Amino acid sequence: MKTIPDKDILLFKSCLVNVEYPGVESSACYIFDKVGVEYYVDKRQSCCTGLGHYYDLFDQLSTTALAARNFHIAAKTNHKNIVTLCATCYAILKKTVKILNYNEDARNKVNTILDESGLPEMEYTQDDMDPSKNIFHIAEILFNKRDEISKYITVDLSEFKIATHHACHYCKVHYNDTIEGVREPNLMDGIVNAMGIDTIGWYDHKRVTCGAGFRQRFTNKEISLAVTSEKLEVLEDKNVEILLHMCPNCQMQFDRYQPYIEKKLGKKFNIFHLNITQYIALAMGADPYSVLGIQTHTVPIEPLLKRLKQKYDLKEDNRLKTLKSV
Amino acid sequence: MSKAQLNKNKSNLKIGVFLCRCGGNISDIIDMEKLRLSVKAEVIEEFENLCSINGRKIIRDNIIKKNLDRVVVAACSPITHEKTFQNYVSPLNPYLLEMANIREQCSWVNPDNITATEKAISIVNAAIEKVKYSQPLVPILRKTPNTAAVIGGGISGISASLSLARQGIETYLIEKEPTIGGSMVKVGKLFSPEKLAEECAMCLLNPLVNEAVQNKNINIITNTTLKSAERRAGNFNLLIENKARKVITDRCISCGNCAEVCPVEVKDSWNEGMTIRKAIYKPFSQAVPDVYTIDPENCKKCGKCQDVCRMDAIDLTMEDEIIPMTVGSVVIATGHKTFDMNKRPEYSYGRHKDILTQMELARVMGVNGPTKGELLKPSDGKVPQRVVMIQCVGSRDEKPGGRKYCSKVCCMVAIKHANVIKQHYPDTDVIIGYTDMRTPGMYEKYFKYAQSNEVRLIRGRPGEIEEKDGIFIVRLEDTLSKEPLEIETDLVVLSTAMEPSEGTVDVSNILDVGLTEELFVKEKHSKIKPVATEVEGIYVCGTAQGPKDITDSIVQANAASAKVSELINGGVELEPFVANIDNSKCNLCKKCIDVCKYKAAFIQDNMLSVDPVACVGCGACLWECENNAIEIIGQTDEQILSMITGMLKDKKPDETRIIAFLDSVGYVSADNIGINKINVPSSIRIIKIPSMNRIMPKHLLHAFNMGADGIIMGEYPYNPMYSKTKEKVNGLKQELIKNNINPDRLAFYKVYIPYFRGLANKFNKFNNQIIELGKIGSKIDS
Amino acid sequence: MKTIKLDKNPLKLVKDVLNDLKASPDLGIYKCVQCGMCASICPGASQTEYDPRDMIRRVLENDETIIDDETIWDCFSCYTCNSICPSGNNASEVNQILRQMSIEKGEGAQKIKDFCAYGDSFMEMGIGSIPNEFFNVMVKDVGNKYMDLKVNIEDIRTDLGLGNYILPKESTDEIEAILDNSGFKVRLEKIKRCKK
Ligand code: SF4
Ligand code: SF4
Ligand code: SF4
Ligand code: SF4
Ligand code: SF4
Ligand code: SF4
Repeated sequence: MKTIPDKDILLFKSCLVNVEYPGVESSACYIFDKVGVEYYVDKRQSCCTGLGHYYDLFDQLSTTALAARNFHIAAKTNHKNIVTLCATCYAILKKTVKILNYNEDARNKVNTILDESGLPEMEYTQDDMDPSKNIFHIAEILFNKRDEISKYITVDLSEFKIATHHACHYCKVHYNDTIEGVREPNLMDGIVNAMGIDTIGWYDHKRVTCGAGFRQRFTNKEISLAVTSEKLEVLEDKNVEILLHMCPNCQMQFDRYQPYIEKKLGKKFNIFHLNITQYIALAMGADPYSVLGIQTHTVPIEPLLKRLKQKYDLKEDNRLKTLKSV
Repeated sequence: MSKAQLNKNKSNLKIGVFLCRCGGNISDIIDMEKLRLSVKAEVIEEFENLCSINGRKIIRDNIIKKNLDRVVVAACSPITHEKTFQNYVSPLNPYLLEMANIREQCSWVNPDNITATEKAISIVNAAIEKVKYSQPLVPILRKTPNTAAVIGGGISGISASLSLARQGIETYLIEKEPTIGGSMVKVGKLFSPEKLAEECAMCLLNPLVNEAVQNKNINIITNTTLKSAERRAGNFNLLIENKARKVITDRCISCGNCAEVCPVEVKDSWNEGMTIRKAIYKPFSQAVPDVYTIDPENCKKCGKCQDVCRMDAIDLTMEDEIIPMTVGSVVIATGHKTFDMNKRPEYSYGRHKDILTQMELARVMGVNGPTKGELLKPSDGKVPQRVVMIQCVGSRDEKPGGRKYCSKVCCMVAIKHANVIKQHYPDTDVIIGYTDMRTPGMYEKYFKYAQSNEVRLIRGRPGEIEEKDGIFIVRLEDTLSKEPLEIETDLVVLSTAMEPSEGTVDVSNILDVGLTEELFVKEKHSKIKPVATEVEGIYVCGTAQGPKDITDSIVQANAASAKVSELINGGVELEPFVANIDNSKCNLCKKCIDVCKYKAAFIQDNMLSVDPVACVGCGACLWECENNAIEIIGQTDEQILSMITGMLKDKKPDETRIIAFLDSVGYVSADNIGINKINVPSSIRIIKIPSMNRIMPKHLLHAFNMGADGIIMGEYPYNPMYSKTKEKVNGLKQELIKNNINPDRLAFYKVYIPYFRGLANKFNKFNNQIIELGKIGSKIDS
Repeated sequence: MKTIKLDKNPLKLVKDVLNDLKASPDLGIYKCVQCGMCASICPGASQTEYDPRDMIRRVLENDETIIDDETIWDCFSCYTCNSICPSGNNASEVNQILRQMSIEKGEGAQKIKDFCAYGDSFMEMGIGSIPNEFFNVMVKDVGNKYMDLKVNIEDIRTDLGLGNYILPKESTDEIEAILDNSGFKVRLEKIKRCKK
């Protein structure tokens, strides 16, 4: 099993977390602070190009050059262990490290680009980063700290039937580095189990994509959502109430589009969508609004909170009032 | 030869040198007169054809008349006629003859009269120098005791034991389970491609098992595993551990009363866990030995069985026992296990009762299985409407946990089961999802037979199996119609991969035999030595060596037993050029033991010994030994150094000379250069050395001191010690640097017999390189 | 009938794919046994005419029409094929390389033209964003609350104790320079100019 760090971590900002589910980042920080994971966030860090890369808009060389810049930031700040909140960042960064290490020609090209951009200090030297020892997904860090996490659980979430949706770009791209199962992913199930809660485990379509398919959500909406619906229907058959996510893009696909799919199919899925970080933070008693950021969700989380014995100051109904309306 | 003669001062030795003209092959190029004049010896004779009967007369007469101590024959390659001349020198010991190869490696590769003659002189000189240090030797005769251990009591082990026993070899058949028979007793039916029919496995196996029981040369030892093994001069000292059966074999009459009262129920592994047995049990009715066994993991020691046993056969206090034994040979027949389906969770095996492996299906359809031979679904006891079989599960799969190889039997097993189903349940639809159907040879007929039995085939490898409302969905692409399919079915059968059993890995580790990348036992050579392992005296057969069917397992078992019997009866005669230990110098550091890939060195009674049968005389151990306690007979330091001296002592100041140390493959390759009359630079002087591992810094430094300008080392890469050699060359280069010699003066090449042209090219290239570097000792070296 | 013509370079397309910067060193395209396992679990194959196995076959057969075949745009880049291919092949990666070939020399540019705004935003801010027209569709599908969220994102982030996610000026300058020198800028302009 690979060694997973708990310090010298550059918490890698994700563009989708930033503007869609910022609560994922605040929840991550909340958990890290509790269980003693040392991390750092750098405002100079750029997006990995992820979505653009998989829209086929970015070429591999440009993505790699930008990655070299981010690796430089990680190294310079002595936080070489990059931990991503998003599965696409994870896969992209790993891939770029591999290219920079084995492909001398590409490395030289990237270094030339950096030189020409007046950034010679950012040049990448072979093996500056190790794809297996420096690039992690946050779920791996949480899995590694699962016993520690379980000590801080104050809110009982065991009444909900839970299933997990493991991000494709974590499990299936660099499968030799994936922990807790590629063909039957159980990374998040393992975390939840350590918290003393059962998940439904395997279900049909467990490893199937969320359906976003990058361009597909926008250019092929019908087939994209068909994939999402199939999964939702299996989960509904199993009476799943919470689907856990580890990637903001998957979370968007399910959370933003569940009501739309419900309307199309004329049925109701009673499934809440939470990121694994949000779920853990909630179980640790974090505030749903100021830590989990549930006000950015499309499928409201308030009904879930209402069922908890814990008292919450539910702002669901006046949420919009607190927001500027357009 | 008397001791006195042997100890005679080397310079007083009477040496006879016999020069062969080889019908002009040698004398047309080489100035024989000059050669004769430059050689110093007691006798120098020249003859047209030394290998003829007349040549023999000349050699023998001289030996007797002139009382010669040593003989050098300067003629063709030793590969051609060394044996002939070894006969001709009698009454002299054959190992006191040395050949100087002045034909293949001189006259045939050097058309220039002057340089060829110079070269011939140095080749003859080297032989003279070497032969001074030769000693009379006798070939090694290997005698192996008439006993063997066969580890594993499946069809391979039983067949090997029977064959050994029938040849009069005392055989111990060691099996870890309480009964022998292995997988074959479970499979129920066997396919017979010729008859296009299935036969009863038990009916074929039973007579063999009975014979094994009755043959007094076979000792069947069940419930027993190998614990440790030591190799002692061709013998193996084994320690085996006998797990307490807790039933006294001689008393138990197999009435089964005990099992009736035993309160403990466990899954019966003999039926692949589909039925229940008790803690005291007999795996199946025809089990051999025919007695009950207590499974200590599950027994609660309640004593109920003891109370009902009328034979007083049960002894709950019986303890495990360690038994030592010594045997001459070992046959590994530890078999295989089946693929762990946890590694392919998408096939939902274990989540649903009606997803089976082929082995489980065999039990279901076995007359002595859980349904007494009826094809009934484990979940509800109904006959399935459809059976979907999936091929290559875990086989031909590069992904983590998968097996890259083809398991070889599963296509036939699937067809067999499909045929059986179709015969008895014509209304059950059978579909085989496959990538390739591999039915070589006669099996193709059986495959056609299945097709005409209405077995259906869909070409595609399923990605997953799911259950939906009590029905299984097999998802695959019909690759021939380019259509993603969902096949509904109520029974799924997985053709799972064959994997090496834990026993195979454990036993190999204990015996120190090599394993393949896939952890099967590695054969010495997959083509020409298919049942030998890297360790002399240990053989392998059956699925321990790789996936194979019953026929092939039996063939291999018989081959293994033939090899054991060769060792015992043949008493192989081997060349005596092996490592020799000076025990007064050895401090038992064991470094030589660690380095020897042939596992020839061992410690016995606090003394280091070398098994002369296993040792190939490669010399790798010499490097490791800091106490100079090892020498290689026939390749002692004196001999190597004197050959170098002989090759170089008459070197002229303006001449370039290169010493080429070649192993036996390289030497044959160099002969081939001559046979094909390809020219090589006159500077090249070849010295044959069994393995480049023998070459040490002192040899190289001596050569450079004597005036060599360059040194070549050539070794065949497919020998077990090759990796060591490569490491060593770097060390040698470092030594040269330390001694102010340019490391480029040493070249290391791979050699192969058929690539003699390549070797000739390398000689040429290196020669040019050396000429460019200049003479040894020039500026560039310091 | 199709003829396998005598051809100096019958494996040109595979070789081009393998030589691409994206291609992993162990990309096992030659080892494909056409088992269809990839297609059996491929969401693209189950929903559309796309077939990863057949795409690989056509690459191996040097059928360059695959580059401009519409179906390759139906892959979800989910890498499921990669995670199970028993032969060590990676259809997903091959697909992405073919798309790049199509963008560079074929009709692919028009397929991604609508995503250019993402590139613009990246050049400007070091962060990509959903192109406007897609965003509008999302607002329509998801509802106005989604629009509200976007408008209030800064405040929400402040509530969550998160800093500004906009990169400092030096950083965006660096990124722009890198993307200029890497050829991305030119590439983006070229894509924008292509005719639909
Ligand atoms: S142990 Fe005793 S009771 Fe059991 S089978 Fe043997 S003889 Fe019968
Ligand atoms: S002593 Fe053990 S084997 Fe005998 S009846 Fe009791 S549990 Fe069964
Ligand atoms: S024998 Fe047939 S089923 Fe078995 S691995 Fe080989 S091809 Fe696959
Ligand atoms: S000479 Fe070679 S084979 Fe013989 S004992 Fe030494 S290392 Fe082993
Ligand atoms: S790419 Fe892999 S899974 Fe797909 S057809 Fe080829 S070998 Fe099978
Ligand atoms: S990555 Fe593309 S080809 Fe592969 S399974 Fe997903 S959709 Fe299919």
